[in-house]
Amino acid sequence: MTWLVWRQHRAQFYVGAAVLAALAVLLLVTGLQMASQWHSDLVACTATHSCHDQGGLFLGNRAIGFLVIMTLGAPVLVGLFWGAPLVAAELETGTSQFVWMQSVTRARWLAVKAGWMLLAAAVWGGIISALVTWWSGPNNALYLNGFNPGRFDIMGIVPVAYSVFAMALGIAAGALLHRTLPAMAVTLAGFIAARAVIALYLRPHYMTAVTAFYKLTGGGYTPPGSYWQLAQGVVGPNGQVLPQPNGAYADGVPMSYLPHSCAPLNGGATKVPPSCAQALAHFRGFITYQPADRYWTFQGIETGIFVALAAALIAITAVVLLRRDA
Amino acid sequence: MTPIRPVPGPRDPQVGSLGAAAPRGAGCGSGPAAIQTSGLSKRYRAVSALTDCTITVPEGRITALIGPNGAGKTTLLRLFAGLAAPTAGELTVNGTAPRQDPAFLADIGFLAQEIPLYRRLSAADHIEAGAHLNPRWDGASVRERLTALHVPLDRAVGKLSGGQRAQVALALILAKEPRLLLLDEPVAALDPLARRNFLATLADAVAASGLTVVMSSHLVADLERVCDHIIMLASSRVQLCGDIEELLAEHQILVGPRKDITAIQRSHAVVQVTRTPRQVTLLVRGKGPVADPAFQASDVSLEELVLAYMGQDAPPALARLTTVGDGQ
Repeated sequence: MTWLVWRQHRAQFYVGAAVLAALAVLLLVTGLQMASQWHSDLVACTATHSCHDQGGLFLGNRAIGFLVIMTLGAPVLVGLFWGAPLVAAELETGTSQFVWMQSVTRARWLAVKAGWMLLAAAVWGGIISALVTWWSGPNNALYLNGFNPGRFDIMGIVPVAYSVFAMALGIAAGALLHRTLPAMAVTLAGFIAARAVIALYLRPHYMTAVTAFYKLTGGGYTPPGSYWQLAQGVVGPNGQVLPQPNGAYADGVPMSYLPHSCAPLNGGATKVPPSCAQALAHFRGFITYQPADRYWTFQGIETGIFVALAAALIAITAVVLLRRDA
Repeated sequence: MTPIRPVPGPRDPQVGSLGAAAPRGAGCGSGPAAIQTSGLSKRYRAVSALTDCTITVPEGRITALIGPNGAGKTTLLRLFAGLAAPTAGELTVNGTAPRQDPAFLADIGFLAQEIPLYRRLSAADHIEAGAHLNPRWDGASVRERLTALHVPLDRAVGKLSGGQRAQVALALILAKEPRLLLLDEPVAALDPLARRNFLATLADAVAASGLTVVMSSHLVADLERVCDHIIMLASSRVQLCGDIEELLAEHQILVGPRKDITAIQRSHAVVQVTRTPRQVTLLVRGKGPVADPAFQASDVSLEELVLAYMGQDAPPALARLTTVGDGQ
């Protein structure tokens, strides 16, 4: 069975390997350049005591940076082009009737075929993620944004899980729909939907977020490391979160909540009039965030969710293929 | 000539009494059976593809599965192969119910009508695949057979002609060395020469290994030369089933002046009546002499027989054909 899987998919394998090789060369070359630039800039800024002001440091090629962001879509590619046709194309062309009438049970056929494909998907996601994670090292250190949506999703172990999920989704869609093209469409839509729903609505709640309060006059508060900020704002005298209307603000507090004596603050004055200082003392800033040290826990939870979804999809595929008439 | 008009033979008590020589459900073959079904039915949602099918496929022989398009031939073959599960009834193939089991699958060769092969793979690739997928595999015989037929082994199967593809598929199935070969309309897409080659290959293989073959077609002429047993389906039901020679021996054609046929109906089961202004032609079951000297008897051809039964709407209770007094 493995021989047939290899014979059927070796062309796809070569294409996939070529894409990965090209990406590797591109990222290795630019990544090494960037790492040495980062290193020399660090040396330079340490010498001049200006490392706090590295925000303007230009890192890497813009096109490559864009390509790296685009690896967000890499997992779904295996689902579309390898997963969706895996069962659907065999049902569509009737070759399932050839292979299912050899001395191989359908269960084993599916297990071997899907097994190799899921492994290939994991390798695909793993290699891309390893490259991107390594390449983004200096960037993460500089901007401390590795936990942010969009960057969390292309690094660490989650791309492996996304790829496995996309593959399983493609296989299941093909087994249910019996046709490659609709299966591809469902795979694309399903992948985007699942990723969006989980990233937007589930991921912020994997663990209870931490909320820190700070004095508005104290220059604000920044949690350490690559934290993930979920919300930021101002609470009023009674602890209520203030809506943030359009209009003028003084030290982050809407002017409409403050006495007129604070007006100069809005104008850029640094000296706070006493009456205004008194009023401001009733307000506190807050930041709700997931601390940086939860990064790998979150990676683990998200990976677990997508691997579980993939397992469920493969189980559905098995039930459909084994129960239904061939 | 007036159109063929079926007479209500199936409901005729005489047919019933004739059929009653054997209990209904005993099948329609003698000797060891490769396949036995009892009340086998298959429904696809509201559509009944096969209804109450009770038949026997004798071992070591070539059985023709005849019927118009949509009669249920493919359904029946897919049930035999285990590619579909019956809705009702029982089915034994090679001594067991069809199941997902390597040993069961190894004994079955199934060739679907579309001749499914991987279009981008070559015959050689398929041979190699078969070697990996089957416990018994005679790859050398496939190469030999295809080389003799001048089928290129290294060309993508999708680029071969329809006849060559059918030969590749048949050779691959024979390489599996099955005990039972199920072929769904294997010659439908072939030109007469390719058809002859295909059937010759098949006949050789059967002669050499003694395997059982069930082969479907909507044309009798396709299969008549190589088959010795027949199952006829129409409207999802078995209309006729039995040994071809016995069936031919049991039926005769009577031609006589156009007049009342009730006397003949009393002694023979009338399967079909064809009337012209001058004469009436009857296809009757039962070889006994006709009392009325005005009628002339002649032998029936398989094609005539099949066409007569195909015209029937209801099943003519022919679960088993036994010559009266044959002692079984």
